[in-house]
Amino acid sequence: MPRLAPPRKPARLGQIQRLMSQALMHRLTRSEGMQRTNAVTAAQIIKPNDRLTSFDRLEIYNQQYWWRLLGCFNDDFRGVRAVIGERKFDRLAVEYLEAHGSTSWSLRNLGQDLPAFLKKHPKLTAPHTALALEMAQVEWAKIVAFDTGALPVIDPQKIVKRDPAKLCIKLQPYVMLLKLRHPIDQLLKKMREANPETGSVSNAVSATRRRASRTLRAKPCAEPIFLAVHRVDFSVYYKRLEPEAFKLLSALREGDTLADACARGFTRSRLRGDAAAAKIGEWFNVWTRLGWLAR
Amino acid sequence: MPATRFTAHADYGVGIGLRIPHYQHILERKPVVDWFEIISENYMVDGGRPLHVLDQILERYRVVQHGVSMYFGNTARPNRDHLRKLKRLTKRTQTPWVSDHLCWGSVDGRYTHDLLPMPYTWEAIETTARNIREVQDFLELPVAVENLSSYAEFHASEMNEWQFLCEVVERADCGILLDVNNIYVSSQNHTFDPLDYVNAVPAGRVAQIHIAGHSRHERFILDTHDHPVIDPVWKIYKRAIERCGRTATLLEWDDRIPSFDEVHREALKATKYLPDAKTRAAA
Repeated sequence: MPRLAPPRKPARLGQIQRLMSQALMHRLTRSEGMQRTNAVTAAQIIKPNDRLTSFDRLEIYNQQYWWRLLGCFNDDFRGVRAVIGERKFDRLAVEYLEAHGSTSWSLRNLGQDLPAFLKKHPKLTAPHTALALEMAQVEWAKIVAFDTGALPVIDPQKIVKRDPAKLCIKLQPYVMLLKLRHPIDQLLKKMREANPETGSVSNAVSATRRRASRTLRAKPCAEPIFLAVHRVDFSVYYKRLEPEAFKLLSALREGDTLADACARGFTRSRLRGDAAAAKIGEWFNVWTRLGWLAR
Repeated sequence: MPATRFTAHADYGVGIGLRIPHYQHILERKPVVDWFEIISENYMVDGGRPLHVLDQILERYRVVQHGVSMYFGNTARPNRDHLRKLKRLTKRTQTPWVSDHLCWGSVDGRYTHDLLPMPYTWEAIETTARNIREVQDFLELPVAVENLSSYAEFHASEMNEWQFLCEVVERADCGILLDVNNIYVSSQNHTFDPLDYVNAVPAGRVAQIHIAGHSRHERFILDTHDHPVIDPVWKIYKRAIERCGRTATLLEWDDRIPSFDEVHREALKATKYLPDAKTRAAA
């Protein structure tokens, strides 16, 4: 690379940090090298040595930035990768990370905007757009379900005599409710059996970028799938719900009273009267056992 | 310096980094380990398995917190939300000190998630020391700053790395986490004598030492933490112990992680150099 003369005056800290971070966040070339447009910045701020040019040295950091974020994004959305294929996923990841770089000290939230991004950019996942979007929604829900805090659970004995028209029960924030058209839960179970997860950060750097691949495909189901992504004993699980149960839980999440939530749950349902009451009793037993209901 | 104000007067021997692949082994077999270092960010969450495992570890072991994203060298002041979460974790772990890196890593709210080297300037010293003091005051705990492995040097630098480190820790009145592998890696990448570095460090401020392995590439070395500690790094460690005395020592192994026993055996090699070692030798 051409070597430019260093500036005569030492650059200020803020200026160096801004120039370097902008360079690091420039996407890599197809061969995973640094873009030549960064040569000016490299020469301006970084000294060469006897083995590496300024460009080479900045390139190490540019690669580390992308490999670290892409590695994390890949770990979080292995299902999306398996749906759209490795090459498309790589392109999607770069497009997404350029638009939604990390704004937190934690990499945990890196993919929180992916579902919205996929809705806005359907071409990036075509022709598997609908499946990829639902996969992204479930994979983000898994992250939330894994480590979101828990509220104190309700004591059924204490609420049994309360007026349902005045009683508000909260749903644990780690329980995520999703209405889907594809059997994402089954696809992810298949994938997990083939590929266990890790999930931690450290200060080590990568000598290469990590990859993993497996193809996942599914046709849309005739009826919607109502899915809860939740955790039990610190592991994430999927639980399919009846439509009425899904509506009831969604209403509780929105702050409805117990009576209103039950009524909303059974709007347009064929279940009425005793049958509906029996269902509600059955569901609340299960949800209480799972610890989903909170004060 | 077995126990100083930079370690809250606690005496620690040889520990290892707590990593997910070893959880099961540790919780089931309960091996004898002096202490574990945790990456703070892995446990700065509101619930779920990370905290559940940590609580079980804390029932049996001493834990020291090590961070990777405080970015003392940022021009911006430390993030308050980050500090609040970190402080909440320190209450849980009862860590006697907290460490993080002498680096920067975010600009205008965009995070690189990397440990980026500082230009060694007087301006950077002032900024970094100010941030370290702020973190120490907020956490009400001693802070130790760790020297980096680096792959670049700046035209703007007005001194060498160890001069910069010494100035920062004096002005911040904080401890040092001396990473002897990082000294080796940087000495190879920037062509200096690693012993010059060790000999210049204010020994009384060294709260902790890191040892680790790395990967040698054709024209530079990468700090990958995926190999055993090599002899030249042990040599630097030996010199550091000669100068600093018995010092809390920790092996980092973050990638291609072998069995717990192998990692522990590698860490315990450090006992050979530690005076008055109380650490139990590997069975």
